[in-house]
Amino acid sequence: MSSLEIFVLWRKRRFLTTLTLSALILAILFFTHLSLGYSVMNPLNVLLSGITQLITGSLGIEGYRVLRALTAVVVGATLALSGYLMQLSTKNPLADPYILGVSSGALFAVSLTLSISGYVLHPLMIGVRTITAFLGGLIAYLATLFIASKAGMSPTSLVLAGVAVGTFFYSASLLPQYFISRDIHKLIAWSMGSFVSPSADALILMISALLLTISYAFYVRHPLNNLQVSDDFVKQLGWDPARLRRYSTLLASLITSFTVAWFGVIGFVGLAAPHISRRILKSSELVFVLPTSIILGSALLTASDLLSKVLVAGVEIPVNVIASMIGAPVLALAIVELRRYGY
Amino acid sequence: MVIEAVKLSVSYDNTQVIKEVSFTLAEGVVAVVGPNGAGKTTLLKAISGLVSYAGSLKIMNKDLRVFSAEERARLITYVPPLVDVMPDMSVGDLILSDPLVSKELLEEYIELFELSSLLKRRLSKVSSGELSRALLAKGLSKNSKIVALDEPLSHIDLRFQLILLKHLRVLSKGGKLILVASNQLNPLLSYVDRVVALKKGEVVFTGDVASFLRSSTPERIYGVKFEVVFKDGYVDIIPRELA
Repeated sequence: MSSLEIFVLWRKRRFLTTLTLSALILAILFFTHLSLGYSVMNPLNVLLSGITQLITGSLGIEGYRVLRALTAVVVGATLALSGYLMQLSTKNPLADPYILGVSSGALFAVSLTLSISGYVLHPLMIGVRTITAFLGGLIAYLATLFIASKAGMSPTSLVLAGVAVGTFFYSASLLPQYFISRDIHKLIAWSMGSFVSPSADALILMISALLLTISYAFYVRHPLNNLQVSDDFVKQLGWDPARLRRYSTLLASLITSFTVAWFGVIGFVGLAAPHISRRILKSSELVFVLPTSIILGSALLTASDLLSKVLVAGVEIPVNVIASMIGAPVLALAIVELRRYGY
Repeated sequence: MVIEAVKLSVSYDNTQVIKEVSFTLAEGVVAVVGPNGAGKTTLLKAISGLVSYAGSLKIMNKDLRVFSAEERARLITYVPPLVDVMPDMSVGDLILSDPLVSKELLEEYIELFELSSLLKRRLSKVSSGELSRALLAKGLSKNSKIVALDEPLSHIDLRFQLILLKHLRVLSKGGKLILVASNQLNPLLSYVDRVVALKKGEVVFTGDVASFLRSSTPERIYGVKFEVVFKDGYVDIIPRELA
């Protein structure tokens, strides 16, 4: 066997082992999530009755638990994918929808819409919330990219620009909340990230957006792999790197905004999942990193939501609090590592 | 002719970097020389279809603009000197990232550039010479008719310089046109068939190595007086003093 064949086989085996193990961890977390809550229940019974309830439309406690656990899985996958696409299109391992201000931009836009309309959880508002969240997220992302490009576009300048934009929009999003009288506590809980009110409609829409984005990423896997190296290589594959960045950015902002519109801001999953994946896989190949990131993102957020409901009995801690406590140290680690490589 | 350029110009932000140059090139190894900022990289990128240009550029008697992206990608390969990469990419990831490479050729180049033991290593942990060898392996494995190597000698050691240059001669005998942009006239000019010399975006010389070295062009473009020794089919170019 040639050294190339040995390498290819080694890389594939490492991927399959990692994927199997992370899927196993996700399954364990998922069933634990179904089982624990105000009362401990048999997870298999919860799953079976829950699915029946979801199909028939008469939601009981089991249906609620299944919906909430699935939501955590899908949002985790979405944020991981969004972070990964942002990392590829900015060629920056520190990129993440929260760090780059996208989530806060979406949060502000939704906050503003809700304060103008006066309604918080009206079903008709779902579509409006999604669209405004997308526009807000996109504007914030473009603002971050603009500021970072003026500062040389280094990994750290991008993060600092994101902090500036994110802080602005996060603070701005607090203002409209003071003008809403109805459902104020729900609004505040939402803005801090929460899966307390999962919705089947939201889940279906998010799964569709996720599948669309995954298909897109696999379709452009060769140019995206080369975007990590050099724009010249992307051009030599017959792709326009600027257009590739634009599409990736749009999709990443779109899927992030969906999660923000319904479940608020959840940070660092998009940074941590791809980072940990690349580190374990010892590879940057999209075909391996993308599936691993998605599963690890799901596992991270399922674990966070599990902790948020069981850590303090009778109290729901905002899921962003837990997710950030897990994810922020990964950012710290990534910054130290980047420094070592002379960035 | 493999390449035929007529009044070829390239501009960045309204500054003309290549100024209405005309030349023709056949199969063989061609040295593209000239001082810093003369336009060597830009010329290579224009030929590779990576920058937009004015004027006419024909590849194999066909206008470069009418090639499809895929045809162009197969026909011409540009190899950059070095690249910035995401920290977790390995040498193996890099050389396998082009779907157009031939696996058999890639194995040959892994041998030639001694990359076997480096495949798993992260690019952030290899030397610039090792990265440069990996880029050459990736680029040459595409087996393109035209290969544009940008400063391939700058980072690799003397032994790999010789391995590369001898190999390029073999490739050119097989009907390829290989352009090598470099300032390392030694050992480059002992292994090339022709020279294209650039100064301030203009082609000031095209011809064989001996006429290039016997002309006043080297002294004019570099501002250095050279002593040139021809021996056993090799040339030795010794910079003596500033002109």
